[in-house]
Amino acid sequence: MTDKLNISLQELTDIQRKAVDWNDEPLLVLAGPGSGKTRVLTTRIARILEQSPKKNFRILALTFTNRAVHEMKTRVANLVPGLEERAAIFTFHGFCTKILRQHGAHIGIKSNFEIYSRKADREALLEDVLKKEFKNMWPIDINLLKYIDSLKTKLIKPEEASIFLQENAGMDRQKSEHIGLVYQLYEEEMNKSNALDFNSLLYYTRQLMRRTELRGLYKTIYRYWCIDEFQDTNGTQYELLKQMAGNDFRRLFVVADDDQTIYEWNGAHVRRIKCLVNDFGCEVIQLTDNFRCPRSIVDAANRLMVYNVRRDKSKHPARATKVKSDDNNPAIQCLVHNCDEEEVSEIVNCLANLNPYERGKTAVLARTNALLGPIRKKLEEKKIPNSLMTRKDDFSSPQMRWIVACLKQINRPQNKRNLVKLNETFRSFTEVSVETEDIIMHAETELKDLLTVWIESILKDSLSCETKKVVDLLRKLNRDSFNPSREVKELIECLKPSEFKGDFKEDVSAWNRIVGEIQSAGKGVSLERFLQGMELRSKEPTPRQNSVSLGTIHSIKGMEFKRVYFIGLAQEICPSWHSVKNPNGGATIEEERRGCFVAITRASEQLVLSRAKKYNNWPKDPSQFLGEMGLYLASS
Amino acid sequence: MGPNNAGKTAILDALRIALGGRGGAVFNEYDIHLHNENDNPKDSEGVCIEIISKEKMPGEWSEEIIGTLGDTIQQIPGGERGSFLYSVNLRVQYNWNENSESFEPSWDFLDINNESLSGGNLRSNLENYRSFLPIFYLEALRDVRNEFSSRSSKFWKRLLKDMNIPPDLESEAMKIFGALNNKLLAADDRFGDIVNTLDNTIKVTTRDTDGSLDLRIAPMNTWDLISRTEILLQNESEVPWLPLRRQGQGIQSLSVIFLFQAFVNHLLRELYHEESVPVLALEEPETHLHPHAIRTLFHHVNSLRGLKVIATHSAYFIQHVPLRDIRLIRFIDGETKIHSLPPNYTVEIPEFGEFDSIVENSDGLLSNTPGTLTVHGNLDDQTYRKLQKNIGIDQDRTDLETKLGELKEKSSKHIKDEELYKLETMAQRTRGEIFFANRWLLVEGQSDYIIAHAISYALNYDFDRYGVTVIDCKNNGNPATFAALARALEIPWLAVFDNDEAGKKYIQAIENRGIPNEEVNNRCCLHNSGDLEQQLVHDGLGLELRNILNNLGITNATNFDDEGLLDCLAKKKMDYARELATHIKDNPQIAREKITAFKTAIEKLQDLS
Repeated sequence: MTDKLNISLQELTDIQRKAVDWNDEPLLVLAGPGSGKTRVLTTRIARILEQSPKKNFRILALTFTNRAVHEMKTRVANLVPGLEERAAIFTFHGFCTKILRQHGAHIGIKSNFEIYSRKADREALLEDVLKKEFKNMWPIDINLLKYIDSLKTKLIKPEEASIFLQENAGMDRQKSEHIGLVYQLYEEEMNKSNALDFNSLLYYTRQLMRRTELRGLYKTIYRYWCIDEFQDTNGTQYELLKQMAGNDFRRLFVVADDDQTIYEWNGAHVRRIKCLVNDFGCEVIQLTDNFRCPRSIVDAANRLMVYNVRRDKSKHPARATKVKSDDNNPAIQCLVHNCDEEEVSEIVNCLANLNPYERGKTAVLARTNALLGPIRKKLEEKKIPNSLMTRKDDFSSPQMRWIVACLKQINRPQNKRNLVKLNETFRSFTEVSVETEDIIMHAETELKDLLTVWIESILKDSLSCETKKVVDLLRKLNRDSFNPSREVKELIECLKPSEFKGDFKEDVSAWNRIVGEIQSAGKGVSLERFLQGMELRSKEPTPRQNSVSLGTIHSIKGMEFKRVYFIGLAQEICPSWHSVKNPNGGATIEEERRGCFVAITRASEQLVLSRAKKYNNWPKDPSQFLGEMGLYLASS
Repeated sequence: MGPNNAGKTAILDALRIALGGRGGAVFNEYDIHLHNENDNPKDSEGVCIEIISKEKMPGEWSEEIIGTLGDTIQQIPGGERGSFLYSVNLRVQYNWNENSESFEPSWDFLDINNESLSGGNLRSNLENYRSFLPIFYLEALRDVRNEFSSRSSKFWKRLLKDMNIPPDLESEAMKIFGALNNKLLAADDRFGDIVNTLDNTIKVTTRDTDGSLDLRIAPMNTWDLISRTEILLQNESEVPWLPLRRQGQGIQSLSVIFLFQAFVNHLLRELYHEESVPVLALEEPETHLHPHAIRTLFHHVNSLRGLKVIATHSAYFIQHVPLRDIRLIRFIDGETKIHSLPPNYTVEIPEFGEFDSIVENSDGLLSNTPGTLTVHGNLDDQTYRKLQKNIGIDQDRTDLETKLGELKEKSSKHIKDEELYKLETMAQRTRGEIFFANRWLLVEGQSDYIIAHAISYALNYDFDRYGVTVIDCKNNGNPATFAALARALEIPWLAVFDNDEAGKKYIQAIENRGIPNEEVNNRCCLHNSGDLEQQLVHDGLGLELRNILNNLGITNATNFDDEGLLDCLAKKKMDYARELATHIKDNPQIAREKITAFKTAIEKLQDLS
């Protein structure tokens, strides 16, 4: 056994060790915040690998963010160096991408499909379809995408859509048939473009997994399955899991915390954990020790969650393991401000008073991005480094968007829609552009690919020396010897990101992180595979050193900060206006409460709860959660 | 097997590149197929190598294999209806690379539509794949100094490294060697002088500290000891033991092959997997060996574990190779062609059930899987028509009819196991060289054989020079089998038979093999007047023949009437033929004017395809 694994096993508590050593039967580990669930999961993976040195089966681990994937991969590699290749750690979407690439041919999917992760790309495609098909008969309504997504999540095929909408959504015939037709045309166009959107990844994987032999193959290759953050699983993901497991698969190891179910709007559901226990006959282990938060935070969190009446009654309260905190420096502080502007400026003042190192360990959290905007603005004014933790579907700078468009064009030489984008992004930073219609015509008559013709005609323009150099470098990129850390890097450097503050520089930092993540799965990745990987990843920049993290409750899952400022703790802000007005029998409030729970349990030393008496000039009461946590009196 | 420059080594190289990677072999611009002399290799389609590995029957591959190949494995229909087989398809594409200005290989695994799976962790996928099919290459010029080197040999070095010496024995041995070393150095004063002189090296090169220099005669450590391991041979009990490198070339060459065997037996499983199948690419195993050794070598090579791909042009070597295992490689009309004698023929057809009952009632002639139809023999007209009739209504009839037609055409070249077995026993064991011929001339007996040779010599068309083999069919099987073999292997052939009952039967038998009448008429001819001897007499060679018999000691031969002459010739076939052959060589006029069936055939051979 490796020393590191040995030490890691020794350091586990008895109950953690029980989970790590669990046999081949289904197990649900209910793990509260800071209870060491990632550690349990990775140590278990390492333990199984270590105990089967001559075997070749793999362990499948599914999670929800690429950040978690990266973290788990690193930990496993660290515990059992050389065996990490047998740990197949993916996001759900990443796993579906892999399955479709390898076996999609059975249902007509080419292995080099492109992923459309950006809403804008899908909207543009839909708009094209609608224009072509309906001209002026129907208004162009790109909101139809929502229907398409929802139908696809339910595995409804285009030809079944109309009936389904009539029967289940009470829609009239004309509209439902229109939606069915649009859905069909959209799918056909996606097909023609050899592209899949996020929902399609799951949709087609489920379709593919109807094949008994393929399910058998995956059960053979991946002998153990681990699911992280199971409470975030939506219906489609869970159905896929059940479908793949069939009636006979037992070696399932699931880590979840029902109290952290905050993605109900995305189809997650607290009840799903109960379904899992029933469907698979899982044993349950509860990890109740909280190693992260000071006792007072753990107590507040326990008090808060008692108000969630739908919560499983058998759930034990969390137990703080940290030694008693310093009474002169209480772990929880409550701030009250007269108005939201004051809240912003005082919080920013607090941050300004921290030394840079401490700032790097501090986060400002809020219910919505809207509350964080003014904080960010103020921080920028005071030149305090900060990073917004949010999923970014696309790069922000035209330079980086142009480079990506170029790579896509090389991958799909005949993609006209992409050429338009390539041309537009190029114009926005060089003020040089050509008529794409002309390019398309020339390419067709001269039997050349679009990018070659575009380059030729751009070079006819009077270009600055630097721009010319950039275009010349673009010509060196080619599909067969694609290497993101060679030619593309050269191209980026030629655009001189260091001379741009803001967007471009941040994009390059994100680009470098993404390249690193993709390459960690194996060097020599092909262009199409690279683009697939990039589409699946968020384009947020790597946080700068010593910068304050700003995040919404939903964007900081699984993270930990020494000091947390949780702002906007006022009624109708957190919990949200919507949840207060439409309690839905209390269910929406309960999800809000879980959000609050997630936010406060990020803090490992200090938690500052802040509220203003007025937001946008509307007086607001203190958040009911303050009272529930037993903190209202302290704050008033 | 095949003649020089037909492309045998290229095939071994292709295997080495696909399975062995960059270290295996390389293709460069000289290996690229060019259509004409103006073609530029840079503009070519490059080289494409595909290796298909698949299960023979469902469930053949273990979980170990499936698990290891998990990222590249595919499922294809096969076996019983509704079941499937695992397969892994690997493609290597050599293309011109503008940046490096050379041909660069790229490896790719493929999906069921032969589309690239585009990367993944290619390096580790390749490594996993190759660990089940490790390739080993032994070149024609096997140099024992390299192959048995403890420094450079991939087999010998690895074997030696794996040897275990118990620590007790090791330290004991080292103690003894230390003492021995000192004694040996002390035995001659000049050792000391040498040390002192060489010591200056140290003085020049070291700076701050004093270095030292010593001589070592005995081994210094275990590896030093083991790496000196040498093979000694004693051919006969009275002669001295000699190291392998002092043995004859043949022994040396042979020993390398057995070294490979030792390697496979002892280390393969340890280095790879239980199920690994070594692929041995062996070039010219016959090098430096005498005929009997070559012939026995096949059995040794055949008994090696794994898949053997052997390039040879030794007629002796192939004398014991089962005919179905032979791949005949020739360069025909600007193209390398490969022929073989497959036991069955398969076409891919869409999945439908209408053929099932025909297959069931075909008495083993047909078999099918979802997506394929296989015929294990000659697809007869009746079965063929039944299949045609039962093409499903939903199917593309034209496409299926074409495919069935192709299947019928291919299967008409089928040669049955019994017949091949007879050929193996009668012809192949003595006449391995027939497979290297460019053209065949089939004749009946040995006298035809001898006289045909003489005529070709007299006509200035030397059979050996032009790669023509004359096969005296009666002694080696029967003419129809050889005609079928020639057809299957696409070896151009002609036949000359006696104009008698037997000769006509031969032609009939050839026709019965499904060779079209027109082709039979074109390729086969009979002597004009009766059998060979009757023809000779008819052509006015009576006098010469009588003299020959006379010289052979037959009294009265000069007085024989024609009937007596023919009787006697029939009894002395070989003897008279030999004498007559000499006579023909001395008088080319005979070759030009008499026995015209041979003359015509030989002339026709010259531009036969």
